[in-house]
Amino acid sequence: MNKNRSLTRWKVQVVTLLAVCGLLAPELAMTQQVANPALSNPKVDMPPPESVQADISEIDLDAIVRVEVDTKQPNYRVPWNVGGMGSGNGTGFLIGKNRFLTNAHVVSNGRLIYIKKVSDPRPYKARVVNIAHDCDLALLELESESDYENSFEDVEPLYIGGIPKLNTTVIAVGYPIGGERISVTRGVVSRVDFRSYSHSGVDNHLTIQVDAAINPGNSGGPVLQSNQVVGVAFQGYSGSVAQNTGYMIPVPVVERFLKDVEDGTYDYYVDIATSTIGILNPAQRQAFGLPNNGIGVMVCEADAAGSAGDKLKTKDVLLSIDGHTIFSDGFIEIEGERVDMNEVIERKFAGDTVNLEVWRDKEQIDVEIELKRFIPYTIQANQYDKQPQFVLFAGLQFQPVDRSVMTSHGIKDFQARYHYTYFSSDEIYREKPQVIILTAVLPDSVNTHLQPYVHKVVESINGKKIRLLQDVYDAFYKQQAEPGKEDFHVIRCVGEGRPLVLKRDEADVAHDRIKAKYNVGFTSHLEEPEILQLGDLIKTEDDSEEEAETPTAAAISE
Amino acid sequence: MRLKSFLSVVLAAVVCGLGFSASVYAEATPETSIIRVNATLQDYSFVKPWEKGAPSPRRGLGALISKNQVLTTAEMVVNATYIELEHPSSGAKVPAKIVARDYEANLALLEPAVSNDRVFEGVVPMERTNAVKAGDSVEVWQIEDNGDGVTTEVEVLRVNVGRYFLSGSNFLVYQIKGSLQARVNSFTLPVIQDGKLAGMLLSYNSKEQTANILPMPIIEAFLADVGDGEYEGFPMLGIGFAQTLDEQLRDFAGLADKDGGIFVRKIAKESSADKGGIKKEDVILSINGYPIDSRGNYTDPTYGKLSFSHIVRGNAKVGDKCTVELIRDGEPMTLEFELSRKDAADYLIDPYMFDRGPRFLILGGLIFQELTSPYLESWGDNWTTRAPFKLVYAAANPEKYEKEGREKLVFLSNVLKTPSTLGYEGVNSVVVTKVNGQAVGSIKELSAVFSKVPEDGIHRIELNDYPNIIYVRDDISRDINKQLLQYGIGQLERLE
Repeated sequence: MNKNRSLTRWKVQVVTLLAVCGLLAPELAMTQQVANPALSNPKVDMPPPESVQADISEIDLDAIVRVEVDTKQPNYRVPWNVGGMGSGNGTGFLIGKNRFLTNAHVVSNGRLIYIKKVSDPRPYKARVVNIAHDCDLALLELESESDYENSFEDVEPLYIGGIPKLNTTVIAVGYPIGGERISVTRGVVSRVDFRSYSHSGVDNHLTIQVDAAINPGNSGGPVLQSNQVVGVAFQGYSGSVAQNTGYMIPVPVVERFLKDVEDGTYDYYVDIATSTIGILNPAQRQAFGLPNNGIGVMVCEADAAGSAGDKLKTKDVLLSIDGHTIFSDGFIEIEGERVDMNEVIERKFAGDTVNLEVWRDKEQIDVEIELKRFIPYTIQANQYDKQPQFVLFAGLQFQPVDRSVMTSHGIKDFQARYHYTYFSSDEIYREKPQVIILTAVLPDSVNTHLQPYVHKVVESINGKKIRLLQDVYDAFYKQQAEPGKEDFHVIRCVGEGRPLVLKRDEADVAHDRIKAKYNVGFTSHLEEPEILQLGDLIKTEDDSEEEAETPTAAAISE
Repeated sequence: MRLKSFLSVVLAAVVCGLGFSASVYAEATPETSIIRVNATLQDYSFVKPWEKGAPSPRRGLGALISKNQVLTTAEMVVNATYIELEHPSSGAKVPAKIVARDYEANLALLEPAVSNDRVFEGVVPMERTNAVKAGDSVEVWQIEDNGDGVTTEVEVLRVNVGRYFLSGSNFLVYQIKGSLQARVNSFTLPVIQDGKLAGMLLSYNSKEQTANILPMPIIEAFLADVGDGEYEGFPMLGIGFAQTLDEQLRDFAGLADKDGGIFVRKIAKESSADKGGIKKEDVILSINGYPIDSRGNYTDPTYGKLSFSHIVRGNAKVGDKCTVELIRDGEPMTLEFELSRKDAADYLIDPYMFDRGPRFLILGGLIFQELTSPYLESWGDNWTTRAPFKLVYAAANPEKYEKEGREKLVFLSNVLKTPSTLGYEGVNSVVVTKVNGQAVGSIKELSAVFSKVPEDGIHRIELNDYPNIIYVRDDISRDINKQLLQYGIGQLERLE
């Protein structure tokens, strides 16, 4: 897992985007839920001659474009500020009429996008048609039809091929650092494997490792073999960690993305969100009354918010998936190759179904599961193209927890870490669809004693249970109060017995004073959180929540 | 004979206590008052609970306080496998036994396990003094290798409340300033005023040249407790508090027209405060008649400003009445209750654990343990981030498990790869919820459950996290247990 720390996306960035991405190691990737490590096992058999593999003579280099992007980075520390301006560039390529494929990270947080081709000095203004942060792909188009007609009508789009074999030659084409003009590098396919996609930080998909030099700026560029695209260059290791390891997004992932967006919108990867364990133990087999045939995995937990939440239970044994026998190590066979059972899910779309044969209570039943996206884990994913949400009141800054908030504020608070890390696995979202943290206190005489409580998780404000950032706004601005304490704003934090109190009259005056003094442009930004799509799973009101404490080595001693 | 009779006179003098003229004795010196204490310590392993770590020596000093009893710090003898007392110069040694020890107050009283008069030859019991105050000069006594005494004069900067040995266990300390050199027996040094024992040196900061002294008032309380037959330890109130410097909080809590007071943030279950009826959000104004200021200090008649915790920990005994004036919901009220102490073993998660190994049980390669703070702390300085987070969280939030009626929190700490545990390698640090359908409140209970073999010969172990349930065959596991013993795992369980 540590290795992921050095994964960087190959896009030249003037701002620190690369560094940020490199730092964000996924502490809790969805390893259990998504059961990632599927890998096909390509045999090294009879590749075409190298001269054929390396042939890119039919490629029109004008189809491989330089993508220049001006970016605007959100500022999660000072959320009312515009954020850092930067610029960077990557590569893209024409795949059809006014459709350019590139990496999502090339155009993420983009303000202005320009496309340039090899034989033309003019930049053409472009925009994002579809973007998929979970598989780091994006489709662009030129804003102006006439620009396209004048400049690209005669350019032959690239043709998308298949999965290249191990030890065959591939050519990466793009605009990496080291010069302005187009660059071509050559290498071989080193490995086909499931890997973490560092752009989101929480997704794992099939990747192909190549030893062709892939450098910042290559991102989004085609990797070619025999005049066809066999991958999209997207990430690699910095030289200090490993040499000659570049990664490309293979064709199955690219094709899935293109198929998904055919209807105009991207619907994300689906996820069965179920953790399983192989049934290798004889006692376990015996307890389930299963023969010793090496078939079946046991369901440990089906996440309530996942596709299988109401369909699978702990101790169910999965015997087959869409007709493919599931072996006890979690692998299945597709077209003669052993792959992880989740490979079946990887190829599906939202709304598709998957059919499972399940051994439950010593009887075999059929279970059909409609697949959907697993939303709770997105709080651990890198966020892009979003304005930070917050509410500021009397210098107290409240933000819903997600990866950006945790890292930008350097939050170490124990309860905050718990709520962030176990948000999905402990179903915290049911009580707190948004976990609200007091992320900062802008010092003023009214709140000077509250500085020690920064980074605490908010439980209630003015008697209102805080489940969403909207509740914070309402609690302060809609005249709510704790009974008998009408003269105060009362903020209670998880695991903290001392309420944070502000005198109402003083706080209201201070609010305007602080706003002026700290140059606060606007005091809140709220959006409807995606998590609310979970509907009934989210509890509306509940007061039974456990009190929680922060850790101490010994007991309380005073 | 002459020596013996002389010693008994001294003992009588000590018992009589105050007012005895020091001039009867020859001037006390390090050479005539100090006993070397040598201990071999061996910690228990948490990763391999059937093992102990490498033994390590610890050499310190003790003060002879009666005919044959030596006072030292508890830290000197923690997890000790062998303790001996040594004459300061002759090198005569005798194995020692522990008469009493208190890890919270960091004090231990030792005496020879067998009789050997040579160890105390020419060494006379020390008188003790309670009279040290801030600004006084005191001496720190050490012994050179050759038996010569070394006396270093240091100044008492202030008297306050600070940490002894266990984190979170705070008592009265004298803070001193002065330059001290490390010597062979530098662990635990007697501190003397006017030839009388005034305290024991706890820790020395060589950079700032400051040190903390465990003071005589705490030593006297310890000795009095030891002397009355049943050792009960130091009482504790058991609250966590917030200061009330914040004017808005003061208004909120109904303190607008009052002085001082501390806001109660949390209360330890079954503590004096809990049993005495103190509640969260109470504001404590005074304890035993001492007004508490808004920082949590009171004015001690002897030492001036001190943390209020000293009123209970240092100035009272288990069983004493405690009177607390407080404000609840804006109304003043007074509570009177008996002070008690909650033993480390009575917590769901032992806050500390010495002189015994972790309780554990191995079944066919599954290693079960009871969760304790030392288990988590064995991850090192950054244990709150490095130890398994779920266990750290459970330790910090024991209420849920306490409500289930568990005595201790049993968890699966690790899995040894064996034919019985096939497929479960890599499972670790998960809390056990049930075994064969029964709740398990301790390793002892777990052992009892395992001894009743289910009809189909398979044990079902339910866990609160991945993989949620595991199955092992009883017969295979028992066979493997035998193999593990042959393989060199010395013991398969520690139930007590």
